[in-house]
Amino acid sequence: MNREFIRISLNEILFYFTRAGFGVNAPIGLSEDFARSNVWLAENGFDPSSCSYFALDCLDNSKSSLIAKFSDSNTIVCGNKKYLSAFQASVVAADWVSTNSKDGLNIINVDSPFLVLAQLGAILAENWQIEWSDDEGDEYLVKLNKNEKWEIVSNSVSQIEHSKGANISIRKSIHTDIDNDVTINKFDTKCGRKNILQTGVEVKDRWGLVYEYFSRCLVKSNTRSRESGAGAGLVDND
Amino acid sequence: MTINVNSNGLILRNPSKVMRLDRMGSSFQTRLSFMRTLIRRMSTYKWRFERLRSDINSEGYGVSVYAAHTPERTYSLVAFTQSIPNDMRTDRVIAEVWDATFSLYDGVPSTEDIEYLSKNTPKQEAGRFRPSELVLARANKSVRLFEHIASSLSNGEQPDIDLLASVGYLMRTTAVYGSGKFGCADRAKLHDREECKVSFHIELLAVYLIRWFTIDLVETIAQKRGGKKAVKLEHNISKFIGVGNSTGLGMAPFLLKHPVLIHNWVSAKETSLGRIRSIKRPADYSTEIFFQSLKQASQHIKEWNVEDKEQALRIERLRVEVDKLEDWCVNNDILKNIYPWDSIYKFVEDNFSNECQELIVSLLLEPHGELIDDLADTMFATDGPVFDSKMQLKELTNILNEHYSWATKIDFSSAESQHHFWYYSEDKLEPRFGSIETDDGVEQEMPLAIAREISELHNKLETFSKTMCTGEFAMRYPQFRHIIRRAQNTAVRPYAEVQDNLLSKSMRPLDLLRFKLAFFGASKFDPKSDLWTRISMYQGAPLPKNLNDIDHDDWAFPIKPIKEMR
Repeated sequence: MNREFIRISLNEILFYFTRAGFGVNAPIGLSEDFARSNVWLAENGFDPSSCSYFALDCLDNSKSSLIAKFSDSNTIVCGNKKYLSAFQASVVAADWVSTNSKDGLNIINVDSPFLVLAQLGAILAENWQIEWSDDEGDEYLVKLNKNEKWEIVSNSVSQIEHSKGANISIRKSIHTDIDNDVTINKFDTKCGRKNILQTGVEVKDRWGLVYEYFSRCLVKSNTRSRESGAGAGLVDND
Repeated sequence: MTINVNSNGLILRNPSKVMRLDRMGSSFQTRLSFMRTLIRRMSTYKWRFERLRSDINSEGYGVSVYAAHTPERTYSLVAFTQSIPNDMRTDRVIAEVWDATFSLYDGVPSTEDIEYLSKNTPKQEAGRFRPSELVLARANKSVRLFEHIASSLSNGEQPDIDLLASVGYLMRTTAVYGSGKFGCADRAKLHDREECKVSFHIELLAVYLIRWFTIDLVETIAQKRGGKKAVKLEHNISKFIGVGNSTGLGMAPFLLKHPVLIHNWVSAKETSLGRIRSIKRPADYSTEIFFQSLKQASQHIKEWNVEDKEQALRIERLRVEVDKLEDWCVNNDILKNIYPWDSIYKFVEDNFSNECQELIVSLLLEPHGELIDDLADTMFATDGPVFDSKMQLKELTNILNEHYSWATKIDFSSAESQHHFWYYSEDKLEPRFGSIETDDGVEQEMPLAIAREISELHNKLETFSKTMCTGEFAMRYPQFRHIIRRAQNTAVRPYAEVQDNLLSKSMRPLDLLRFKLAFFGASKFDPKSDLWTRISMYQGAPLPKNLNDIDHDDWAFPIKPIKEMR
């Protein structure tokens, strides 16, 4: 398969990204949620491979960890001196939000904060806001509004999907005074989904890396498995 | 315990009875099966069918387009046929060439679309598709039957009925892909379309068009060969030609990965049975249809011959049991008693094999369309299981105890219980079933070891405070997130889980295949090993021109046609 600049379906995102997570030894339950986050990103016009390769890479190279713990009642930190993997941070955030907690949650030093946002989007969280500042000093505020509409408020010129190493604050939306010098990018997931079902999702140069991780779930074929693993014969001329 | 009572007070069969492999592997199609419901929809909404293009040579190679016009939109099957070497004709996923390849296009394809597809569809998995393509499929000829029919028709003769019955189809599909595979349209694109809301209707529309295409193709070849001497197939013979299918392991993981969907399918069938068993006095027409169906099924299974020794024995026993049932019903005047359907089911349950029990379920459903056909509209799912982070471990433990005792009782320390593993091969991602003793790749095992995961979770939970929430537990032990989500779903959808160890040495994937294929509406299961089977689809179903015939829905158990007298 030509792995660059192709268009893939949302179902292919589920298939390949779940197994890419599996390829970097993330548990299957986290990998399934990771894949759903990537579907949400695709529905909003982002290239999921571009958004996710860093989280996959960090886990694969042990720069991130799945070990999370509470340092106080509403703060999650990594259990060792690494980034907290977005695989884990995103489901912890989703679980927190789905308990309808009125309290906010802080998650410290997450490798790919955009994936945390994506997970909250994927579970249709409404009236929550996510703020973070990252390793580059860029600051982002994202508001998840009603009816799958959301907006990014930031003065950063960097691409939000490439934001790395962030302390994230998640809380119920409050009115925030917006400075004049920030940009607001608005999204409508329902519209995006409708469009993407007609066009497919374009994946660019990072797709090859995701595919590499995916391919780790495949078992090498040999004469025996080829002949007997699927039960059927090799020629059917009856 | 073998009964379960649902919220409407119906007596339903318990999941612990229904969702066992030996019973699943005895399934038959019913009037709720997807091919049946699709044919009824075609007839009810007066779909029109049209051959839009047929550019084929005297050997039948070229491109053809067949359209189904629904009241709202058109779907077109684009078919490419080619000559292939005999030694490359295989039913396996790893095949590289096929006699015929197909795309189901959303609308009417333009010349440019057909040009695009001509470069991709024949390559199948190696091609790349777009959201305008809904289904990708391929088929190979039954070489002996295809040539026999082409030759007979070209000489002005009808084919040999016994040979036709021994195969049942001109071509058999070896894969039918939908739902976003290889870039095709996602299923979500079709969610708001009534005509393809039910599971697999769009894929089975493609198969229906393929069947029509194969019959049209063989008649066209005969015409080109024989000229004026050639004849077309007699109506009752062409109706008896289905389309074959060769199904392997790919279907098994699907069943395990879609627990919500599987529950909805089984729940519809079991609710139907429950409604019918609760009828106190049956209508005369229903008893008449039942006996007609019983006779037809009896003849059908007499014509159902397979090489597989185990299945042949099961069929032989089934033949005897069906005869005995007919005698019992007549001798005891059973249909004049109260609750006769319940009596019949109980008699069969107490005395006969699973094959016979499941056949009778199908026969009991047959006369009761007015009572149960509404349930067909529930046989789909748009969402998967949701993780409930608030649930306390106490409740989770209760779910495991109530719904998964079949799993927690298995001793996973024995080699027998972990003999197999499922994996994807690097050969075109072909799903395979490996043995831990002899095959590599257990590290890349697919996450289908449900019973083992449940057992591990059950053991782990014993050491935890029961008031802890599953969210916190899963944060500490993310390896259990997958199975917790699954178990939480089963608590509200009890037919979601196959209640057997799918890793055990005695496990036959074939049982899962038959279960799913029966829901599709397949017949004449013809196992070729424990891992794959051939079947017939749409055998006996009306062709497009006969969809409005009064008997358009009477094809549950097709029987051999009789040649018209001349």
